[in-house]
Amino acid sequence: MLEKDTLRKADIFSGTLIFLFGLFVVTQALKMPMKDTYGGVQNVWYVSPAIFPLFIGAIISLLGGTLTVIALTSVGKKELAAVFGYLAGPDLIAFLRRPETIRFYAIVLIFCSFIFVMVPRIDFFLAAVLFLMVFISMFYLDDDRLLKKILIFFIVISILLLLFFTTKFDALISPAISYPGDWLTLMIIVTFVVYSRRLLKNRMDLRRKYRTCLILAIVAPFTVGIIFKFLLLVPMPFEGAVVELLDAIWYYDY
Amino acid sequence: MLLERLSTFLGIIFNLVSDPASVAILFGSVMLGILFGAMPGLTSTLGVALLTALTYSMDTQLAMVCLLAIYVGGTYGGSYASILINIPGTAAAAATALDGYPLACKGEGGRAIGLTTTASAIGTTISMFFIVAISPIISEFALEFTSFEFFLLAFFGILISGTLTSPDLVIKGWISGFLGLFLACVGRDQLQFYPRFTFGIPELESGIEVVPVLIGAFGIPQIIEVLKDKFQIGKAQKLQRIIPEIGTVVRNVPAIGRSAMIGVGIGAVPGIGEDIAGWVSYGTAKNTSKHPETFGKGELKGVLASETANNACVGGAMIPLLNLGIPGSPPAAMLLGALMLHGVTPGPMITFEHPTFITEVAAILLLASCAMWVTGMILAKQVVKVLRIPTQIFMPIIGVLCIIGSYSLGLNIYNLYLMLPVGIICYFLTAMGYPIAPLVIGVILGPMADENVRRALMVSQGSFMPVFQRPVSLILFTIICLTIISQFGWYKRLMGKVKKRLLDVFRRQKSSTH
Repeated sequence: MLEKDTLRKADIFSGTLIFLFGLFVVTQALKMPMKDTYGGVQNVWYVSPAIFPLFIGAIISLLGGTLTVIALTSVGKKELAAVFGYLAGPDLIAFLRRPETIRFYAIVLIFCSFIFVMVPRIDFFLAAVLFLMVFISMFYLDDDRLLKKILIFFIVISILLLLFFTTKFDALISPAISYPGDWLTLMIIVTFVVYSRRLLKNRMDLRRKYRTCLILAIVAPFTVGIIFKFLLLVPMPFEGAVVELLDAIWYYDY
Repeated sequence: MLLERLSTFLGIIFNLVSDPASVAILFGSVMLGILFGAMPGLTSTLGVALLTALTYSMDTQLAMVCLLAIYVGGTYGGSYASILINIPGTAAAAATALDGYPLACKGEGGRAIGLTTTASAIGTTISMFFIVAISPIISEFALEFTSFEFFLLAFFGILISGTLTSPDLVIKGWISGFLGLFLACVGRDQLQFYPRFTFGIPELESGIEVVPVLIGAFGIPQIIEVLKDKFQIGKAQKLQRIIPEIGTVVRNVPAIGRSAMIGVGIGAVPGIGEDIAGWVSYGTAKNTSKHPETFGKGELKGVLASETANNACVGGAMIPLLNLGIPGSPPAAMLLGALMLHGVTPGPMITFEHPTFITEVAAILLLASCAMWVTGMILAKQVVKVLRIPTQIFMPIIGVLCIIGSYSLGLNIYNLYLMLPVGIICYFLTAMGYPIAPLVIGVILGPMADENVRRALMVSQGSFMPVFQRPVSLILFTIICLTIISQFGWYKRLMGKVKKRLLDVFRRQKSSTH
């Protein structure tokens, strides 16, 4: 949690946002049938689907407004001017470039890429190996410069994967190669291994940690995935080359 | 009647103990819970959330064994890190660190862990008795509730949870609760099937899935916080032989009873977690002690008080959950989600729909506390080794578990698209002092509040008068008003004046009698 002084300043913005959000809920609720007919049924106000959202929206607005007033009173005019000065000045840029903020971007980006780009389109085992390999390396190696380099690499490969799927290039080459997305991911994994080894060329202290990252990135998805897929019989979000191979092994009639 | 229930209780215990698979799951889950509790950064709520996905294909009884065992184990496991590294493994064990760590520094870490193990087992067992004893009374009482009472009860749950769990301004707790209620509005409404806040997205028509929201709300902020702030686990103190400390326990029976009562009482209040139970019990033990100066310097009674209370809170949280459908703590909210997945709807009707369910829960809690004690006594030294694992290694793996867990409940990829934004929003809310527990309680109680307020108004033809005509609604309404009013400055000043005058009168009377 933030420090109390900073918290009050943040409350001005969060309170305002919540107030506006409450108003949005109210306006959306007002569009719902109140007394008119819906589905052939004549409504009365107290059975309207708008009643509860109206109540919630109004209270959210009221609470958000109250929070803003409390925060404004606590911060005062002078400090408020300083807050806006901070937001318009170079301090904000410095904050956005702080190592903690970059670590935050890294976590959010890696999750977004994994959930929105990889999981729906790439074999879960391969996607999870890539995700863990990058994620554990970023943080376990505990070096902010390395983290930045790995993050840039990850952004590039995420864009590459996104383009590969959104331009339907995978559909184009799939008659020639089955599971093209999986093969591309496998190539990316190999590239990442080579790239990170190069990054750690002169860092003997981190080599052992890096080996741990690689081992865990492979062992963990296969352990978790096999439990879900074969013991709990949960189909994977996307079943590709690796799942097909595992199916062939697991269900092989010896 | 009592004999019949006792025989059912013993029958369930016998069935579970005689089934090797149940025993293995019981011990496995307790062990996993202890690991989740012991590792700073992981919580018992997250443990229950992730295990919910694994229990999806199990039968209800086995799933409950799994989830209650991890809940009990997780609440107890937090004490390991508190005692050995002075960082609470979970918020529930925060008070334990005050006296546990000084004990470990004196070379009595084994004694402290032995005592927490025994105290936690006793706390859970006592709370189990309360479930069995109080549930029928509450259940019978709740059968008299009409829609207005259920609406007010849900509203009260959110308000009280927001009031007591907010780390900053109380208003933030309330905002959090109402945001949860808003999330519950998304989807087609239950009475007229009208799509609300779906924005034309077909996946939102059926509403927001509770479990992925809970996994996102508890899992993602935890991962971001630990990795962003480079959380490091300190060097653990050396652990000696674990001693059950039966003698200390026997000497402190009244203190144990008091701590357990505090735990059960706080657990029964909607949305209030084990952490508050631990602190309140610790504070009470210190205030009532003849030697309060010894607290904070390695006092066994301090460890005993917080650990008995936080584990007693587990049973306490089950009382409103089972009888009213209102979770008493964040892990209980997770349990509610899991129960709904298994087709069990907790509430006043549970004794009719599943007559032996409450007894089953009590039996499982008893077995879980026994399993926790055995595991704690035998494996504590091995479990402590997990404190050496860097958080940067296990947090990404927890991320994968959150993702596959959210997906596996309903096999819907849209759950993931929901989980991540909810998690990121919850991270910002936590950073800005908004508690997450009321939001979760809001998501869970939202449908109940919505449906009941409209049903009540339908019956009363749009009149709010029944609120003032029915005693229970009137009491709930008064408590809600008092909870709100108590936050105003003028009320606090007024109460301060009243308190001062009363004290003056009391002092004058005392001096006149002398």
